[in-house]
Amino acid sequence: MRAYQDMVFSTAVRLTANPAQAEDISQEVFLRAYEGFDHLRASPKVGGWLKTVATNLTLNHLTRHRKRWRLFSEVFSDDSRDEELESAAAVFDGVVTELEADERRARVEKALERLPDHQRIPLVLYHYEEMPYQDIADRLGVSLAKVKTDILRGRIAMAGLLAQSGIGSPDGARHPSATRGAQS
Amino acid sequence: MSSRDQTDEKLERLVGQVLRDQPLRRAPASLEARVLGELAARARLPWWRRGITTWPVAVRIPVLVCCAVCVPLVWVLSLWLAGHVVDVTTHPAVVGPITNVLDAGRTVAALGTIIAHIFQSIPREWLLGGVLATATVYAALFALLAAGYSLLWPRPRYSKAQLT
Repeated sequence: MRAYQDMVFSTAVRLTANPAQAEDISQEVFLRAYEGFDHLRASPKVGGWLKTVATNLTLNHLTRHRKRWRLFSEVFSDDSRDEELESAAAVFDGVVTELEADERRARVEKALERLPDHQRIPLVLYHYEEMPYQDIADRLGVSLAKVKTDILRGRIAMAGLLAQSGIGSPDGARHPSATRGAQS
Repeated sequence: MSSRDQTDEKLERLVGQVLRDQPLRRAPASLEARVLGELAARARLPWWRRGITTWPVAVRIPVLVCCAVCVPLVWVLSLWLAGHVVDVTTHPAVVGPITNVLDAGRTVAALGTIIAHIFQSIPREWLLGGVLATATVYAALFALLAAGYSLLWPRPRYSKAQLT
């Protein structure tokens, strides 16, 4: 359990942005693992199994408790402008390296937590779980276009939040549009 | 590939890089103790309060056999009972109560007819007004919920001073 608890917890906490809920979900994952211990013990895919169960349980938890998120976030439009994208990408041109590694990691995690659910969840599924857009859309029960828009806006917002927290080039965030993504 | 697509791809790559460079979050120290505690609590439960898959084979097999036998048994019993019920309903001692039940049903149906007549006697404008008022209340409730939602989930705002 010790070998996998950080991985399971990270999967849950990045999706929920809530350490208490993530701990509950992690506990449930390991209890299920214990039920199937005889099969899992010899399996080389135990890590993948735990990650899949953690992802599924977290998404089930989110869809069960956050119906309102789906209702209100269905209203969307892809109104990101070219200069907004340019500004967001420019944030990464001059990543500040003076920060301590731990401090930098904490700030990135904080920025991720600050994203609204409808941007953070597909963004995490895409970048951490490496799920394709269509799979994310199917799993979250939303349209493919919405997933693409939310992920794009999530990246723009993430860039803005990183610039704001002192990571990344402040020049890249000079355009107000670079941080506008987090508002939508 | 357009310039926008290129920037989009660049942003995807850069954000992906930053996220993938993140190490795993450390699980709380309490997690292991919680899991072990829950496992111990489950282990203390008597076998009949756990899942059937963990029951002793000596109990599980008879239970499964009983369940398998129960299905046809219930069918046979139902048919037998249905035959008896038909016989019983013709018995003078049972006819009385059944008549009472039928009378009660007729009374309820008559009440429904009266209510329908009352509704028909109400002017159509009044009914329309009532429907409109209900719709307005629902719309106001929805607006309140939307306002509450945007208050609970405020959009972060950045001033120009913050960004420069």
